[in-house]
Amino acid sequence: MFKDLDPILHSQLRLAVMSLLISVREAEFTFLKEKTNATAGNLSVQINKLKDAGYIQVKKQFKDNYPQTLCSITDTGIAAFEKYVRDLQSYLQTGAA
Amino acid sequence: MEEKQMSELESLQVISTMIQKAKTSYHDKGTGAMLWGVVITVCSLSTWAQLHYKYELPFDIWLLTVVAVVPTIILSIREGRRRKVKGYDETAMNWVWTCFGIAIFLTVHANNAVSAAFGDIKDAVEAAGGARPAIYYSDYSSAFMLMVYGIPTLVSAGIKNFKPMLIGGIVCWLSAIAVVYTDRATDMLLMALSATCAWLIPGIILYVKSRKLQAA
Repeated sequence: MFKDLDPILHSQLRLAVMSLLISVREAEFTFLKEKTNATAGNLSVQINKLKDAGYIQVKKQFKDNYPQTLCSITDTGIAAFEKYVRDLQSYLQTGAA
Repeated sequence: MEEKQMSELESLQVISTMIQKAKTSYHDKGTGAMLWGVVITVCSLSTWAQLHYKYELPFDIWLLTVVAVVPTIILSIREGRRRKVKGYDETAMNWVWTCFGIAIFLTVHANNAVSAAFGDIKDAVEAAGGARPAIYYSDYSSAFMLMVYGIPTLVSAGIKNFKPMLIGGIVCWLSAIAVVYTDRATDMLLMALSATCAWLIPGIILYVKSRKLQAA
């Protein structure tokens, strides 16, 4: 029986953001933009969706008089990401069998 | 990258690509390691030269280590400002090297106190009519310094999986054993060798690597 993949994570840009954030403690918005090659507007929308789901934390502050947005993954986000990978593995294993 | 639905294989590809990108996003430039490698090597070789050629500098060369703290702090703040991402290993490394700095201060403090106590004991023996014992605590104190040098070097090597630093850490600890049996001049040569292997050479390797990655 296939488990449903988390719809929040099963989207290219949101999954990319989560994969980047799971590897680091904290990342700037500009870093995520640079690595995902996404537009600022689209990335901002997807980050808000992840934030609303409780998967990431967004901290806004000023650095050298410029606004800075810092993102980090939450414990809920880590658990959801791990479950997503497990579900993905079960899909692929079933597909290969 | 757009917001689109993917197949399971595409999902896996996104995950592995992004994890790889995050991994290669930050590289230590090795400037701190190079700086301290040079400072400790210069101080040790200068002390060796003073002992070997029997002359004295008008100031304590080891004060350079205090001076080197300033550029270390400036470099660390500047790198922190430039960085767009903070990794988990970086946090661990910061803690390890901060603890190292404190441990070195505590070791120097304890060594100075024990050295003074040695002097008092020798004075007491002499006052009691005995010959002044020809034993110097400074012949042994380098062992504690080298032991402390080795700890953050080996921990960093483990965290970063960086072989040159692992070799450097081992050199520090082997030197910590050796200096117990050698005179102070030789201790200083071993200390210079340890600083070169533990920090200067790995620092240069890191610097060259980061320049190559920047150019790529």
